[in-house]
Amino acid sequence: MTELLPFLKSLMSVSALSGFEGPASEIIEKEWTSLVDEVSKSKLGSLHGLKRGNTNIKGKAKRPSILIATHMDAVGMMVTKVVDGFLYVTEIGGLDPRILPGTPVLVHGKKDLYGVVAMRSNRLVPDDHRTYEHDLDYLLIDTGLTPKEVAKLVRAGDLVSYNTQPIEMSGGEIISGHSLDNRASVAALTVCLQELQTRQHLWDVWAVATVQEEETMSGAYTSAYQLKPDIAIAIDVTFAKGPGSSGWDTFPLGDGPTIGLGPNVHTFIHKKMKEIAERIEIPHAIDFLPRHSGTDAYMLQVADTGAPTLVISIPLRYMHTPVEMIKLKDVRRAGRLLAEFIASLDADFINKISWE
Amino acid sequence: MKKLLKTLTETFSPSGYEDAIREVIRKEIKPLADEIRVDALGNLIVRKGKGGKRIMVAAHMDEIGIIASHVDDNGFVRFEGVGGVMSRHLIGGRVRFINGTVGVIGSQRGKENSMEDMFIDVGATSKKDCPVKAGDIAAFERPFTDMGSRWVAKSMDDRIGVLVAIEALRALKSTPNEVYFVFTTQEEIGTRGATTSAFEINPDIGIAIDVTISADTPQAMKMDVGLGKGPAIKIKDSGMISDPRVVQWMEKTAEKAKIPYQREVLGGGTTDARSIQMARAGVPVGCISIPCRYVHSPSEMVDENDVKNSVKLLTLLLKTESKNFGSL
Repeated sequence: MTELLPFLKSLMSVSALSGFEGPASEIIEKEWTSLVDEVSKSKLGSLHGLKRGNTNIKGKAKRPSILIATHMDAVGMMVTKVVDGFLYVTEIGGLDPRILPGTPVLVHGKKDLYGVVAMRSNRLVPDDHRTYEHDLDYLLIDTGLTPKEVAKLVRAGDLVSYNTQPIEMSGGEIISGHSLDNRASVAALTVCLQELQTRQHLWDVWAVATVQEEETMSGAYTSAYQLKPDIAIAIDVTFAKGPGSSGWDTFPLGDGPTIGLGPNVHTFIHKKMKEIAERIEIPHAIDFLPRHSGTDAYMLQVADTGAPTLVISIPLRYMHTPVEMIKLKDVRRAGRLLAEFIASLDADFINKISWE
Repeated sequence: MKKLLKTLTETFSPSGYEDAIREVIRKEIKPLADEIRVDALGNLIVRKGKGGKRIMVAAHMDEIGIIASHVDDNGFVRFEGVGGVMSRHLIGGRVRFINGTVGVIGSQRGKENSMEDMFIDVGATSKKDCPVKAGDIAAFERPFTDMGSRWVAKSMDDRIGVLVAIEALRALKSTPNEVYFVFTTQEEIGTRGATTSAFEINPDIGIAIDVTISADTPQAMKMDVGLGKGPAIKIKDSGMISDPRVVQWMEKTAEKAKIPYQREVLGGGTTDARSIQMARAGVPVGCISIPCRYVHSPSEMVDENDVKNSVKLLTLLLKTESKNFGSL
């Protein structure tokens, strides 16, 4: 069983963009193999870990199951065209082009190449684009190689990922780097599986590392169809309070995970989760999700014949940038809270669910 | 091939009203298919072969269109777009309603950029003698033009895909696979026909045949696709990432047969492959795109060689022996 920090850092050190999650999947599979009874893959590449319920169930009743989805893909870029040795790119997932200039990247061509996101001098940009908001159309990637060399190594469709190493801050309690969205949640789910090793739980647990959340959420949608859980929970990141973001929809780093509430969340599951958080004294906040939760839960809710869903989120600063930031405490708490919730599920839980 | 394309593109079948085009296609494929059926959404499903990999090939047979929203007292028809209609392509153009009525598109003076300020003139003098009523649907009226090696027509999106699918079916004398050619409905309003047909067929692999933007015109978008350089193998569009295993299968097949191809990363739009990918427990998908200039205008242009090479590539893919699918 790996410690949380080195595990999370290894997850943040690989490039695994939406649709190309292989490298992250490998690390997760290695870690989960000893924590679950079975590991398999969906047709789209989502990783399914099954930890069977370990307490007796009465008679011939079917053992209920809960699915916990954490997406393992990350945002990044893809080459659209090579012009004079420079690369034009489009985004995979949502990027904020303002933070891109100056970012070190890896270009995954025939071999991995170092590159930087560059932009023309403001003087050379057309008048109507001369602002501080830089359209992706006006950014390019420079690998330092000659056009001839680039033509041999890079073509349209090659991936470009952030090339920044994870940084420990505040004595290792805060970590910053790319892909914390959503590898921090993968780590939280792993903490949950570790907790469950010494716990009794009646329900089967499907730990799922989903693909393509940042693009189509097709991973969560298809895995939920395949596994048909009785309850589905997504763990994702949410906006932390920080410079310029202090509204009702932001949450302090280090004050615990958030429990979602809104139409994408079943109020009964929400209430139960909140009760458990209070009972075991895990600090938490309520994340109001008035519409689309922006997480896998959106698809988990409507896959197959539908399922009651919940969203648990870890506060994170600077989402989708190479310097995302979280507090490890929140990851541990999210994992512990989930484990406690799973252990609390009895055979009759589904029948007790009521609507408001 | 050209004659069939002329018929296909000159047929009027906007999303939701695919009856006319379905009959054209049905007539053409009837002698070629092992089984033909139409599902609840109007998709024309054509099976060829039995056993082996279940491969779904989707070419959408609908086209973008215009729908009348109301007729004013002077007999001018106000309208909205069905699918991704762009107002800049409309003024001075003509449309044909399903009932045969032809109209010309005009606009209020100085307001040429907004569909809300445009109207269709069908020659009526009042609401009473207007042959069009609210809810009537129309498509662009524009004849097929043969420019030699380049062909121009309305609804090349995606009748050229329909043509490629039909020609591949024709060329496919036999296949070790179970191939479902699906001529889908309602793609332009959200890939809806593909959603239900993929659910029903539950394929092992999905391939969409559609057009993509040809970015070789002045000041075009930054994209590595041009006319005449071969079929485009889609890597990504704004609604779908192709399965890398399918991309590899397509590229290897093209390289082995020396078919030129291009790698497509499209910034806007998506295809039926998106819906196939999300069907049931998920389907590995890819897309062969025919490069096309002026997509969603009444004058969409494709290149003859790209079309022929697309047919060749699709036919070879569908003939793949089970041992050659690799990790798929």
